[in-house]
Amino acid sequence: MYAPQNAGELKLESPEIDEFEQLVFDWEDGQLDDVGINRLRQLLRQSSDLRQRYVQRQVFAALVQMDRDAGLTTSSDEKVGCDSVLPVALANDSILEQEKPDLRPGKSPTLVRQDSRGLGQRLKRHQGILLVAAASIMLCFVLGRWLVVESRLKQAGSNQSAEANERSGKQEATSAGVALVTRLVDVTWHESAKNFMVGDAVPAGMVSLDSGVAQIEFFCGATVILEGPAQLWLESSSMARLQSGRLRAQVPPAARGFQIQVDELKVVDLGTEFGIAVNQGQAEVHVFDGEVELHQTNGEQRSLMAGTAVKRAEDGALKVADLNSNDFLGLERLNERVRSQKQSRYESWLAHSGELRKDPRVIVYYSMESDRAWTRKLTSSAVPVNRDLDAAVVGAKRVVGRWPQKSAIEFKRPGDRVRLDIPGQYGSLTFACWVKIDSLDRWYNSLFLTDSYQRGEPHWQILDTGQLFFSVRQGLERGKAHHKVLSPQFWNPSMSGRWLHIATTYDVEAKTTTHFLNGEALCEERIPDDLLVKQTRFGKATIGNWSSPTRPEADFAIRNLNGSMDEFVLFHGALTHREVKELYEQGRP
Amino acid sequence: MAGMSDQEQTEVFVQLLAESQGRLFGYVYSMLGDHARAMDVVQETNLVLWRKKAEFRAGAAFMPWAVAIARFQVLAHVRDQSRERCLLDSELVAALSEETEKQVDKLDSMRVALRQCLDNLPTEKLEMIQLRYYRSMSIAEIAQVVGSQSTAVKVALLRLRRSLAECMHHRMLES
Repeated sequence: MYAPQNAGELKLESPEIDEFEQLVFDWEDGQLDDVGINRLRQLLRQSSDLRQRYVQRQVFAALVQMDRDAGLTTSSDEKVGCDSVLPVALANDSILEQEKPDLRPGKSPTLVRQDSRGLGQRLKRHQGILLVAAASIMLCFVLGRWLVVESRLKQAGSNQSAEANERSGKQEATSAGVALVTRLVDVTWHESAKNFMVGDAVPAGMVSLDSGVAQIEFFCGATVILEGPAQLWLESSSMARLQSGRLRAQVPPAARGFQIQVDELKVVDLGTEFGIAVNQGQAEVHVFDGEVELHQTNGEQRSLMAGTAVKRAEDGALKVADLNSNDFLGLERLNERVRSQKQSRYESWLAHSGELRKDPRVIVYYSMESDRAWTRKLTSSAVPVNRDLDAAVVGAKRVVGRWPQKSAIEFKRPGDRVRLDIPGQYGSLTFACWVKIDSLDRWYNSLFLTDSYQRGEPHWQILDTGQLFFSVRQGLERGKAHHKVLSPQFWNPSMSGRWLHIATTYDVEAKTTTHFLNGEALCEERIPDDLLVKQTRFGKATIGNWSSPTRPEADFAIRNLNGSMDEFVLFHGALTHREVKELYEQGRP
Repeated sequence: MAGMSDQEQTEVFVQLLAESQGRLFGYVYSMLGDHARAMDVVQETNLVLWRKKAEFRAGAAFMPWAVAIARFQVLAHVRDQSRERCLLDSELVAALSEETEKQVDKLDSMRVALRQCLDNLPTEKLEMIQLRYYRSMSIAEIAQVVGSQSTAVKVALLRLRRSLAECMHHRMLES
């Protein structure tokens, strides 16, 4: 029987298996001599059970290494927030410090070594290189173009989301609310009241405007246009209480029974359009279309038909009033106001974008403004013009951006991506983009990733937990590979479909990384000296994705963003908080 | 790939090739047990597949064809006298190939399952996997790090591998 390097029986099922495992361990550690190799071969020839055992062992080792190479190593240190300290190093790190990976090119690996670190050195040579990615990227160059097979990918798309749900065993996402804010024009929210953005779900409670107009769609189907100053208390998805101000409600048949209360007066809609104004104890109800019922506290009910209006005096008496439709802003006029607001926002962004492209700190800038719908190129917007910085759109579609006048790029299928090549070396960096996230389906959802992940190369992505994730590769050692900076959770499914401004600064002078959302810092973290990389670089890189699309099951190899991007800019130098805020303010839809 | 333009054929081919990379690596690695060599052989295999792409016909299964070529590349690698000795000789490569192909066929779903199983592993067990497979430490080094005997490390690794294999099996049955 074979005498292993470190004697001691493993007490396995049989002496034969024991010997076999001992041999394989020594072989893996590069400690098996010719005698040992011959013995191991002999065992494999003799026993089909051992052959099977060997294959399972090897396939397992291959799997774990592929997992490592895919960079998906969840460990206790992985999912921490921005404020947390550095990952807890594994015990006794100093042992590993003595090992220097052998990176000499062309040096043939040796299998039998006296050196106990044989396997280690051979493996380290390829750390940081993504084997699956590497091969496909090579092919990508061969073809110059990456196209995907639609049917496979459709299939992939559906399988992955199902898997993602199954994997995490997370609770079903919920979103509290009785209505949605669908449009806002020149709104100033009341000081102490809650602020809402377009797309926000409104929970039961007070909506209070000092000025401007808000369009609120109740989940029952009724649409309310509220003109400030106004205070509307949302009771449920089919009932609200107007305390002051003016509103116009449109109630399609499906939402019949929608109620607005004014003090003790209940206005029950029977499928129609009406307006209510409340001012200093006086209330007016105007019916533009259909019919409403007025319920009074004394039990009296009264029907109001289209074209009629009533006024309720402070004493509660109801009197007929003159109908005045123009006093209540309707959907049509609101539309015009929205359109003109969008036009002016768009124009203001356009002017700002014109300045931005001249900023000498810009490395690449894609305004996604001037491109034609059919071009598969993303024109670099920076001046002086450098056509080498134009990016290639692969798979991804052109869609409407923040404004109807402007386009964006939509990443949907696992192959969708934008390819670019950025030469040169830099120091501090700032990434910023406008992004609309439909969902976070992948463990890693790419914003910007360099093809490889070598020293000085940054990776910018979003985790499925809704956290922004930024790192710059430092070294090869696992514990010292990079300093990961994770923001607190900034995204959840209720924000799906909303345009967000995301930025991250990497400041090598201040030694900090800062994440921003909509112009506000999410978190700032200091980079420890030993993980700070002063020289950054990119080379070939991808926006919205990473390595190649693979089979449906292999969802970790896919990092495509599920959403759209409208404007991407990369600066050398760290922008100040104020400058990031400015980017947001000037680009907000 | 009849009925398709040259460009479409190429696209389909590249797609298939890209999708096969994980399984090819799994196969070649299982045969050679060495990351760097396996990388080299997979790249050689890719080149051969690319050169022979005209031989690949629509409707034919891509994977068996690709694995057959990978097997030739492994054999060539093993036979090459100028190289240092591999554990498996050509006879053993032939003897193990079928079983390996069977295993590798499930590789993509195994990867998903493994990820799930690793996610649920207690920290100290995950560290063991990391030391061995991510940091590529030898048994003696791991023993030193965790302050234990080499034999205990081996036993722990074997148990861990078995429980992960069971977990993966279970996961794969579920899905």
